[in-house]
Amino acid sequence: MAALTCAAIAIAAAYASAFLPGGATVISSVLMIIGIATMAVALMILGAIREGTRARPIGFALSFLFAVLVLGFGIPLFFSSRDIWLGLPAATAIIVYGVGILPVFVLPLVYAWTFDDRTLSGEDIERIRELTRNHADKSSE
Amino acid sequence: MRSSLLLSFLQTHSLPPLTQPTIVTVAILYFTVVAAIGTWATRRTRTARDFFVAGRGVGVVPLTLATMAATLSGFAFIGGPGLMYSLGLGALFIILPAATTNAMSAWVLAKRLRLLGEVRSLITVPDAIGVRFNSPAAQGLAGLSIVIAVIGYMATNILALGLVIDAIFGVGLGWGIWIGMTVTLAYSVSGGITAGVYTDVFQGTLMAIASVLVFVYAIEVGGGGEMTRSIVAADPAFLSPWGKISPLAALSFFFVFGMGALAQPHVVHKFYMLKDPLRLKWYPLLSSIALMVTLLLFFGVGTATKALVVQGKLAPLTRPDDATPIFLLQFTPLLLSAIVFAGVAAAIMSTVNSFMNVAAAALTHDIPSWVNRRVRDELLWGRISTVAISIVAAVVAQASGALVAFLGIFGWGLFASTLVPSLAVGLNWKGATKHGAVASITVGLMSTLILETLGYFKAFTLPSGVTVSGLSLVLSLLTFIGISAITKQAGPDADVAMIMEI
Repeated sequence: MAALTCAAIAIAAAYASAFLPGGATVISSVLMIIGIATMAVALMILGAIREGTRARPIGFALSFLFAVLVLGFGIPLFFSSRDIWLGLPAATAIIVYGVGILPVFVLPLVYAWTFDDRTLSGEDIERIRELTRNHADKSSE
Repeated sequence: MRSSLLLSFLQTHSLPPLTQPTIVTVAILYFTVVAAIGTWATRRTRTARDFFVAGRGVGVVPLTLATMAATLSGFAFIGGPGLMYSLGLGALFIILPAATTNAMSAWVLAKRLRLLGEVRSLITVPDAIGVRFNSPAAQGLAGLSIVIAVIGYMATNILALGLVIDAIFGVGLGWGIWIGMTVTLAYSVSGGITAGVYTDVFQGTLMAIASVLVFVYAIEVGGGGEMTRSIVAADPAFLSPWGKISPLAALSFFFVFGMGALAQPHVVHKFYMLKDPLRLKWYPLLSSIALMVTLLLFFGVGTATKALVVQGKLAPLTRPDDATPIFLLQFTPLLLSAIVFAGVAAAIMSTVNSFMNVAAAALTHDIPSWVNRRVRDELLWGRISTVAISIVAAVVAQASGALVAFLGIFGWGLFASTLVPSLAVGLNWKGATKHGAVASITVGLMSTLILETLGYFKAFTLPSGVTVSGLSLVLSLLTFIGISAITKQAGPDADVAMIMEI
């Protein structure tokens, strides 16, 4: 939650800086990039990591996502080139292929790979069915 | 710039005439299939559970196609490519989060919503907020926010549907609105969300096929690699990393559309409908592929149209929204154009149907819970509410002009700013309190309404790069975290706590 709070503060600071004389600067964009990357990863950690389970595969995927977002948005902010990469100007290609496509090859696969052990197992479903039966019994009483 | 940018999200201008036998025939075939699915689904709708959550009997593939179809309105086919044509790569930041949001919503929301739905027999998204915080007020406020957002959002979609029907059949905008609304209403009111989901499967498939075919044509007609070189030579800003908008504005799009995806009630509500929760395993992979394939048209047509204009093969567009119709009519076979226009109608109708359902549920279920009332026959009142909401939205759509555009602007942002904190964070953080939930929904609702109204009447303008939806979302998040930190509430009920731990 601390990371999520810091992320929200960073995004609020990015917006607040745009109200200053001279408007938004490169610092506003840097704050926004850090805020977005941190918020996305912090939310996914809150949702994905269960107590008592190893975080490694999911942790790796989320670290990868953080790096993709920070570098994918950050590099084009400071770097420009006339080269064409895969049909797009280099800096644009970093955003389109990096942020827009690369996560699809990692996040859904890690989700599926870790699903049975870390997200939802048959045992969890049994516990849920038990809870549902208890609720039904209480309602009928 | 800001308001014109936001208005371009909405299809409010007439399309070029499309009244040609092939297009009309395909459109009639499309409406016939939709009607047949609606009739079939009506026979399966016997209870409120069938009407609102499809009897919790939907498989993961239909769920994927239905969430994709509900996510993408006509904007993905008409407004999006137009925005791409005018803003360049800056417009792409709206759809760029698609690579991340499906896995995010699966980890953050899907499992917990599905399990809570089963244990507590939940049928609405505000239901989940209500049981998480033991707070009818939070549930009712969330329901109220949904109704406010849906009316405007639906009105703009019905207006867009009217424009498409008018362009295809030449019946006039007024008749277009009422014909489109009546067809959608007919299957929504009789078959509820069961009809919605299975028409979405057909509509989503149509949208995906149309998008891929048009993308292939766009690359071919635009000249492949030559497309980039010609655009860069004539208009370098178009393909620059942030397009023709500032980096902060582009990142703001990514923030709002990325995080906002966690709180679109007409989309996340569908998690309740999944038959076997263990099938969620494949949801992010399938939905990411479906969404990205269907969004190819957005990027392809926007870029190809720009390339054709700078290469002198196409006259500059007077209205960016004409990018898709003109590209299709001039550069693709007529049958493909016909399928895409049916796909546009499909995209709009699937979104409208989902809106009808979540708003009807909010009116008959969530808002009465706020005042400790329970509607006796939720199926009957769900149907009555669906008709009432549709008529209000169609009347607003027919009023047309600025009012519709104004109402439609804040739909997505209002969902995000009112629901993301209490839903996406609340279901995963035991320290959250009902005071935090109520305060954040109120702040999200008020800040969006006030700032959009002031902006619309030009009484106050936000600095370049700052959007109302982004600002409201972050204010609402900080309120939620801050108020939860300084207030106390006993933890969630034991069953809810257990689901939060799973």
